[in-house]
Amino acid sequence: MLPESSTVDDASRKRRIRRNAIVLGMVALAFYVAFIAMAVTGVRG
Amino acid sequence: MAYTTSPAAHDTHDHHDHKPTGIKRWLFATNHKDIGTMYLVFACIMFFGGGIMALVIRLELFQPGLQFVDPGFYNSMTTMHALLMIFGAVMPAWTGFANWMVPMQVGAPDMALPRLNNLSFWILPFAFTLLLLTLFVPGGAPAGGWTLYPPLSLQAGDSFPLTIFAIHLMGASSILGAINVIVTIMNMRAPGVGLLNMPLFCWTWLITAYLLIAVMPVLAGAVTMLLTDHFFGTSFFSAAGGGDPVMFQHIFWFFGHPEVYILILPAFGIVSEIIPTFSRKPLFGYESMVYATASIAFLSFIVWAHHMFTVGMPLAGQLFFMLSTMLIAIPTGVKVFNWCATMWKGSISFETPMLFALSFLFLFTLGGFSGLMLAIVPADFQYHDTYFVVAHFHYVLVPGAIFAIMAGVYYWIPKWTGRMYDERLGKWHFWLSTIGVNVLFFPQHFLGLAGMPRRIPDYSTQFTDWNMVSSVGAFMFGFSQLLFVYVIVKCVTSGEKAAERPWGKAAHGLEWELPTPAPYHSWETPPSLQVITRGAEHSGTFGHS
Repeated sequence: MLPESSTVDDASRKRRIRRNAIVLGMVALAFYVAFIAMAVTGVRG
Repeated sequence: MAYTTSPAAHDTHDHHDHKPTGIKRWLFATNHKDIGTMYLVFACIMFFGGGIMALVIRLELFQPGLQFVDPGFYNSMTTMHALLMIFGAVMPAWTGFANWMVPMQVGAPDMALPRLNNLSFWILPFAFTLLLLTLFVPGGAPAGGWTLYPPLSLQAGDSFPLTIFAIHLMGASSILGAINVIVTIMNMRAPGVGLLNMPLFCWTWLITAYLLIAVMPVLAGAVTMLLTDHFFGTSFFSAAGGGDPVMFQHIFWFFGHPEVYILILPAFGIVSEIIPTFSRKPLFGYESMVYATASIAFLSFIVWAHHMFTVGMPLAGQLFFMLSTMLIAIPTGVKVFNWCATMWKGSISFETPMLFALSFLFLFTLGGFSGLMLAIVPADFQYHDTYFVVAHFHYVLVPGAIFAIMAGVYYWIPKWTGRMYDERLGKWHFWLSTIGVNVLFFPQHFLGLAGMPRRIPDYSTQFTDWNMVSSVGAFMFGFSQLLFVYVIVKCVTSGEKAAERPWGKAAHGLEWELPTPAPYHSWETPPSLQVITRGAEHSGTFGHS
């Protein structure tokens, strides 16, 4: 991602921030679910 | 020492420094500086709470036999001490630094998600109230160690669900904080602040934030499974039901080893800010520092089983985890040599932040060396679960993470408050802490090598002498932290007015281009290219895009 230029409008930056945050939240959720799923399906250490 | 700051910065900030007042300022805080302050104060309270528990442990271990506490309570103290220090003191302290410094260093007016920021802080007091309440429930506080290994952790009393819920809340808080840091750095940098001319502190925090997002959910998954094993009849980790308790260890340490780097990477960032300033030289090898940090973070995902060599694993597994662990010494060595090269032929002065940074450099490296010893599989069979391990990770985390936090506080407090701390008392604090920490932890190497197991309230008489020395060091270190609080309170309430650039021209980064104290609302207008370039020239990042 490139740094903001002074001409970028605020609304699009807000959208991008929200989108980034949601994606990162989904990644966290995916790790949570994946490790439980891995345990459920019986992957052993 | 006076240094002309950007006139644009003054113009922008001086007339808009209004702030909310009263309790609402803190309850509904969205200002990054207020939230940063709350995180730091919270971390300090937890540090003293965890410290008192450590002193209970060392008091009991002053001599063999059972003197002051019963073994169950002793085990609760070791468990709670770790949980408080890791999740309550060090991690919130780093988030506090991130809140204060990241927006100022990237030229942003605030964190990208200020309300989320408020939420991620205010989750913490609830989480730790729950955790501390376990001290008063039937069966006492959790006593199975911070690693929560089943089946032991499943035998806890009423504390069990409270502990699990508290850990979930801490994890949620950390993930939300990490999302905020990443989104801020990736979207809120001022025009002209490229990724490769951000201060190292921002880089180390960015990488830490990615680690947090990857591994905190793994811990949450592990403790969720513990919860369902305990209350809902599942058998994830119960051998009797077809489960596997060793699987918990694998999952836990997949979280646990990156967690170690979550605790230490921001410390690397702070030390990388301080050493160039007090050496009056740009940081040596800026880019290699960034790549070394990223390499350490990557490697942290593939070394977890070195914590569990003794559970038994195939030879190929032992070799893989031993060698991958040793590989971490390479990027870490790059960092240590870069810090040394930064100081080489520098005009070094030894103010308190630099003293703590230097102590970090020596003692963290020492902790790293004992880590290499522990990575060697046959040696680890001897050292595992002994006081050698306790000495190792305390060298990494106390003169490592905690000293870096103290260095950071001394370094930036003039910018935060506009007042200078008492340098003489700061040096007293440094020397008492450094001597205390070595008297406390160095003898534990000897105890461990002689075979003293960890997590026991009583021990064989042959271990008495070094335990006494260690306990004396613990009280010396513990009480010297009261001096730290005194220095900070004195600074905030009656410290001398700090200069605009308290550390002179060598202090680099955009935060030093702001007026002192930093205005309540900073960088509402992004810094000019001239200001950004000046900061980059000092930081050694000039010329990178």
